[in-house]
Amino acid sequence: MVTAPTLLELQRGFANAVLDRGSDLAQWVVGAGLAPAARLQVYGNAIASTQIETLRATYPAVQALVGEAFFEAAATRYRLHHPSTRGNLQAFGGAFAAFLATMPEAAALAYLPDVAQLEWLRQQSALAAEASPLAPATLDDTTSLSWRLHPSVRLLGSTHPVLTIWRYATAPEGERLQLDGRGEQVVLWRDGGEVAMTVLDAASFACIAALIDTRDLEAAYAAARAIDGAFDLAVCLRSLLKHQLIAAG
Amino acid sequence: MQRVLSERPRVAWFEVHSENLFADGGALHAAIEHVRADYPLSLHGVGLSLGSADTFDDEHLATLCALVQRFEPGLVSDHICWGAIGGIHLNDLLPLPFTREALDLIVTRVQQVQDALGREFLVENVSSYLTFQHAEMSEWEFVAELIRRSGCGLLLDVNNVYVNSVNHGFDAHAYLRAMPRAAVREIHLGGFIRKTDLAVPLLIDSHSRPVDAEVWALYAGALDLFGPVPTLIEWDQDIPELEVLLAEAGRAEALLNGHRTHIA
Repeated sequence: MVTAPTLLELQRGFANAVLDRGSDLAQWVVGAGLAPAARLQVYGNAIASTQIETLRATYPAVQALVGEAFFEAAATRYRLHHPSTRGNLQAFGGAFAAFLATMPEAAALAYLPDVAQLEWLRQQSALAAEASPLAPATLDDTTSLSWRLHPSVRLLGSTHPVLTIWRYATAPEGERLQLDGRGEQVVLWRDGGEVAMTVLDAASFACIAALIDTRDLEAAYAAARAIDGAFDLAVCLRSLLKHQLIAAG
Repeated sequence: MQRVLSERPRVAWFEVHSENLFADGGALHAAIEHVRADYPLSLHGVGLSLGSADTFDDEHLATLCALVQRFEPGLVSDHICWGAIGGIHLNDLLPLPFTREALDLIVTRVQQVQDALGREFLVENVSSYLTFQHAEMSEWEFVAELIRRSGCGLLLDVNNVYVNSVNHGFDAHAYLRAMPRAAVREIHLGGFIRKTDLAVPLLIDSHSRPVDAEVWALYAGALDLFGPVPTLIEWDQDIPELEVLLAEAGRAEALLNGHRTHIA
């Protein structure tokens, strides 16, 4: 740049500099006793730190499983491949599970992407909208009632024992991990200020998935019965009601 | 936050980062509903990126407008900086070049925000670790002109003025004297860290330490100039016990009260 950069050129050059994409912006930075590149690096370090700490806060179980150094390397690569796009950092990191699935160094930990996905869903559940639960008595007449599952309900079906691994990873030191190798189908919801999680049988999982998709009890019942001929819809609904997961609207 | 909700400390108001309320719901929404019932609220943004040369995030602004309608804060603010370019957000308060081009742009943006909100918006001066060769004015001229032309208010961060005065070698008191007195609506104080591994002193605005003695002195000077302006101490990294925060706030309160008495 021979003439001074426009604001657009300056900001593009700044972003390239801090994302290690090569930039000649440093020539327009006042050094005042420091290398201009070192001044840009102060920002580069701060930006990386903020974004990596955000991922650390969202994915504590992943970090516990792979260790701090591996996590930092993965997070560093992630933020350069999937840059943040919003001013709200709560929106950053949603593709981390898919990214981990493509990392050759993580291939030996086949369950890792699902553990990451579970942590992302925990955050989505924690930040979901509020909704007024229906009183059990009002559910006698479901045909005319307008209802939906609580917005905080999320599902994750995994071929790995994902919730067992998550609990092991986030438990205090000394817990022992006992795996029987079977996959787990997990439902998450917000209970007070915390996110609750439990493993479901396949039919209940299919029922709740269909309820989220269609809000249609008959379709949900059919989906569950296709898996388990003895599935009891009333038991499933009572459990949802008990946990205040059926909401008006 | 639990102790704030249960102990109801005697503080004048609360400030929350707007973006922490951008989700549809969650525990913070519920907590702020409670706080809002008893205290005035300030929504302080870090992600609007007023100075982006290419685009302005209309969705971000729309979400902020919805929050303002819901919580009816006493003050709404963001920073004199940029953070996003080319669809990428760097999630930091990045320095603008003090050029006429950048000034024209941010004046337009602030006017757009005030039109959307239908109320006064405050802009805050940021800490910076570099300046640009092709600057056409000083930082204080840039800030004062932005406020004069857009008609917005100033959230004066006294710590950031001090940090920049050391980092870039200017007179912090001269900066304060250049600020439009009637526009100062709020003051921020905070702690910095001093980088010692570089060839020249560099202060980093960290919000992780008590307010420095030099900054307390500059704050007293600011109160002389602007009167008893509502003051907030920012401490959002390595947060200490509530008692330590309340002691820092108490020191600011004492200085403020001194000025109220003085004026009376």
